[in-house]
Amino acid sequence: MISKGRDVSEFFPDVVKNVVSQNIEIRKLVYIYLLRYAEQEPDLALLSINTFQKDLGDKNQIIRAMALRVMSGIRVPVISPIVLLGIKKCVADMSPYVRKTAAHAIPKCYSLDPTQEDSLIEIISGLLKDRSAITIGSTIMAFNEVCPTRFDLIHSYYRKLCNMLTDLDEWGQIAVLDLLLRYGRNQFTDPNPNGIKVPKAVTSSNTKNESFYSDSSDEESTEEVEEQSEDEVEDVELDEDHSLLIKSCLPLLQSRNSGVVMAVARIYFHLAPSEEASQLAKPLVRLLRSHRELQYVILTNIATMACSRPYLFHGYLSQFYVRSTDSVFIRNTKLDILTAIVTEQNINSILGELQQYVKSPNKDFVASTIQAIGKCAMTVPETADRCMKGLMKLLKSTNDLVVAESVSVIKRLLQIRGNENTQSIIRLAKLLDKTTVPVARANIFWLVGQYTENISAAAPDILRKGVKGFTDEHDVVKYQILTLSAKLTCLNPSHETISLLNQYVLNLARYDQNYDIRDRARLLRSLTLPYSAQAEKSGSNDDSHVLSSHLKQILLSDKEPPVLESDMQDRTEYTLGSLSMMVKHSLPGYEPIPDYPQEQPDPSVRDVEEDFWNSVGQARIVEQGFGSDSFESRYRDGSGRSPASTAFSSVEARGYNVVHSQTPKAKKNGEDYDLEAFYNDTSEEEEALSSEDSEATTSEEDSEEEDEDEEESEEESDDLDAAAEKRPLRR
Amino acid sequence: MINSLFVVNGQGKIIIEKHWRSIISRQIVDVFSDESAKFLASGPINHTASNSDKNAKEVSFTKEDVPPILETSKYLLLHVLRDGLVWLCPVDKEVDPLLVFEMIHRIIDILVDYLGDVSEVSIRDNFVIVYQLLEEMMDYGYPLTTEPNALKQIILPPTIMNKVMNTVVAASGVGQKLPQSTMSSIPWRKAGVKYAQNEIYFDIIEEIDATIEANGAIVSCEAHGTVNVNCRLSGMPDLALNFINHRILDDVSFHPCVRYQKWESDKVLSFVPPDGHFSLMSYRVNLPPQQLLPLHVKPQFYNTATGGKFDISINPRSTDGKPIEKVVVTIPMSKNTTTVNATCNVGQYMYDPVTKSIKWEISKIQVRDRTPMLSGTYSNGSATHETGTTIMLQFQISMYAVSGLKVDTLRLFREGYKPYKGVRSVTKAGKFQIRA
Repeated sequence: MISKGRDVSEFFPDVVKNVVSQNIEIRKLVYIYLLRYAEQEPDLALLSINTFQKDLGDKNQIIRAMALRVMSGIRVPVISPIVLLGIKKCVADMSPYVRKTAAHAIPKCYSLDPTQEDSLIEIISGLLKDRSAITIGSTIMAFNEVCPTRFDLIHSYYRKLCNMLTDLDEWGQIAVLDLLLRYGRNQFTDPNPNGIKVPKAVTSSNTKNESFYSDSSDEESTEEVEEQSEDEVEDVELDEDHSLLIKSCLPLLQSRNSGVVMAVARIYFHLAPSEEASQLAKPLVRLLRSHRELQYVILTNIATMACSRPYLFHGYLSQFYVRSTDSVFIRNTKLDILTAIVTEQNINSILGELQQYVKSPNKDFVASTIQAIGKCAMTVPETADRCMKGLMKLLKSTNDLVVAESVSVIKRLLQIRGNENTQSIIRLAKLLDKTTVPVARANIFWLVGQYTENISAAAPDILRKGVKGFTDEHDVVKYQILTLSAKLTCLNPSHETISLLNQYVLNLARYDQNYDIRDRARLLRSLTLPYSAQAEKSGSNDDSHVLSSHLKQILLSDKEPPVLESDMQDRTEYTLGSLSMMVKHSLPGYEPIPDYPQEQPDPSVRDVEEDFWNSVGQARIVEQGFGSDSFESRYRDGSGRSPASTAFSSVEARGYNVVHSQTPKAKKNGEDYDLEAFYNDTSEEEEALSSEDSEATTSEEDSEEEDEDEEESEEESDDLDAAAEKRPLRR
Repeated sequence: MINSLFVVNGQGKIIIEKHWRSIISRQIVDVFSDESAKFLASGPINHTASNSDKNAKEVSFTKEDVPPILETSKYLLLHVLRDGLVWLCPVDKEVDPLLVFEMIHRIIDILVDYLGDVSEVSIRDNFVIVYQLLEEMMDYGYPLTTEPNALKQIILPPTIMNKVMNTVVAASGVGQKLPQSTMSSIPWRKAGVKYAQNEIYFDIIEEIDATIEANGAIVSCEAHGTVNVNCRLSGMPDLALNFINHRILDDVSFHPCVRYQKWESDKVLSFVPPDGHFSLMSYRVNLPPQQLLPLHVKPQFYNTATGGKFDISINPRSTDGKPIEKVVVTIPMSKNTTTVNATCNVGQYMYDPVTKSIKWEISKIQVRDRTPMLSGTYSNGSATHETGTTIMLQFQISMYAVSGLKVDTLRLFREGYKPYKGVRSVTKAGKFQIRA
């Protein structure tokens, strides 16, 4: 009934009574109902609160989570303190799932009652300490919603976040990447604390590089320069954290979730040295095989990137070729990209491809292709001739739209090329007999008028033709015929026929139905007729002379060739991948990514607990592949279920520290280390252990794995020390 | 984040509405239909505004052509069209559009997993499940649980057994057994999975995307593959999959269960698999231009004033002796075609006068068979004829991977049993187009 759109709130009390039902299925349905209608019946909804509070103490984690979720979802402001209490309780829950729900409840509570902000932020900062990858993603989402700029909370967890990235769930990754991008733009700078000491040239190139990314020189190199110029410890620190971020998101480019890939691309585009950015092209291109909505968004983003850094996508040219099955919006975006990445090297293949599209039966598409050809010709002027030829062929098309489009593109091209186009104009003029499309005709008349000096022989004849059919022409064409005649008169004031034609046309226009045309005729009459009259009389009226002396300038001044702008151009100012970029204006809630700060924020803020987090993180990179294992162990630590967790984690940390200190050696060993043997050993050990293991923990499996984890960490250190065979001895 | 989701059927009726934050009026769906109708009516965007209207009506847009982001005065309408249903998310704040689209598709995928197919009927039959899922997958507009394995622990899929159980339980008034309270520590895998027979199957499915000129020159050609896994293994197995020739892979993406670092260093896929069906990885392979495509289609069109002749032949190439199956050639004819007469020596053809296209189906082509040919004439209503049709080709070759990707070994750790392993590969035509 809800989905039928009927208002079923009258049953509210009856439904709410069922909230105590034993059947979980029914209860869930009641919850859904409650969430939908609680706002309308706040008082009655309060009845159910008790049940939720009871449920919060349930021993099933799913029930606990659900209770909190529904309770926080009821949009009744009165209960916000209760919700807050509930959140506080659940944050300390040992199940990460419940903690995750608690994190989700934070923004709900915030929107219900913004005055709770302080205590909520407190909870968030508590949750940031959480070591479970399951909860962290949701915590960051809450952070982004409640206090997106409180970077001071993030400092000490920055490295942890970077290191955990691969372990988070996909949606959490998006949120964290978003946060890290903003954090990075806020915390990493080029003008260091010692920026003043740096030679001016370096600083300027540095800032330029940061803001445009178009320079080939990259941040690292500048930083190196700075390091050389002054051996500051902070510089090294900064470098490490910054590159840690960039390094740790790299694997995420292989995520199946396009949102994640785009978020990484965003970091690489906005935050990474330009050299690194080249890595993002390939994954983005891969995403083009997904659903068409995603395709559209990604293509738009690529188009935006291609505007500022076309070189990124040069290698993937054929990916942007249009398929006949593509939808309109995809086709057009692809054309935009193709025109954006045109260079002298690939112009031939692109033009060849475009000429194929021109044959398409879909005329709208052909029209946009013609536009694209025009753009190509403008970007690479050498090929303009070839484009012209192709376009000229199109003029024979039977389709009006195509002809109109090609004429206007040709016009634009001719304008750019200036005066060496007599032939083309004459050819176009010949078309006048055949073409019926008003826009095309108007364009041709305009061209003839503009370059009439070059084709002075043919121009009067063209005018004659135009004047002959004047009354039957479309308004646009009439304007142009009038202009043409005025121009001709001005150039050949003594020519008898032309001035007669001119007068004739002006008279015709005078009685035209369209008042605009009548106005135009009046203007031109006053401009041209006194002139011709004076020429005959050779009188010396000064006023009109002034006007007439400038007549040529007025009518025939060199028109600026129109500058072609891609619609993608104005997108570049928005953050990549944001909705605002897609629609080209900023939406509520959109915040442009902050600029790099002028002064280097203190990098030491991130040093809190550095030994520990750093060692874990480093070890995981060395460890390579036990990502999920280490994450499991961390989850168990965090849940506090195992009494040995603290001891264990210290073992872990110590074990990893060893690894950390011997990183180069580890890498070397890792290569010729027999993985299978290692695995086999582990499982044997595991069996032995599990048989010994009589500890009554929640589940045997857990403890088993824990031991295994412990072993792995020890093993790692063992491997490093010597060969793997030694380990059993030690055991 | 995602505020509301409406599921709208082809007639513009709301099947499902779900609000995660505040309630957005149902009117928005009418606004949406108006907007898309407006777009459809607008025809091709007339770049030269003063052009006569007659031209504009020539091409009509289909529903697929409505851009996925529509702008209205208050909301931005992000929508996904899949299987005849429109999934609409009105958005009024800044949000990552990819997150929205990805999430909608994920919801649909999960529903497919639960219900078998997603259609108006299947949704109406399972309202309860669908609403529960929507509630569970999103919380306050943020994605919550999206792993099918985890979801199935919370919400039972609608099998017949479960239905019977439900009715019995409801009738007797006894509290239903709650879902297991222990949740797996790995979000994508259930805890305590047990199978009598441990099996794992890998399906390598490769699709060839190619665009070919009429003269046979290849414009673009590449293969996209996915490795789909059906995993029926007990406990918490840890698998390592090796490929014989991983170097051919140009670009890969993985299921979240795959450990990235292991791949980076050793090119081994190391993962703890989810239970049941999932897609382990997808990859792209650039086919070398000299590599022969399994089929070569040669179209020839001769236009005359009131129609024309066409000749299409298919030459099978080497496919390691595997037959090419389910070949379908679709030839769109120009809009003003009136009649088509053709003969073919293999398979059967059909001309659809509504969509103006010829469909030629051949169930199987062996290399040594004679060359399949389709030839015939067509006549046009008017003298104008348009060139530039694009022939679409579909086919399937089982037990053959065009990229040559092969699985080397699969090793299992942490569990004691020996699983039964199976690998199968299929090559299909993806977007295989020949320009004529």
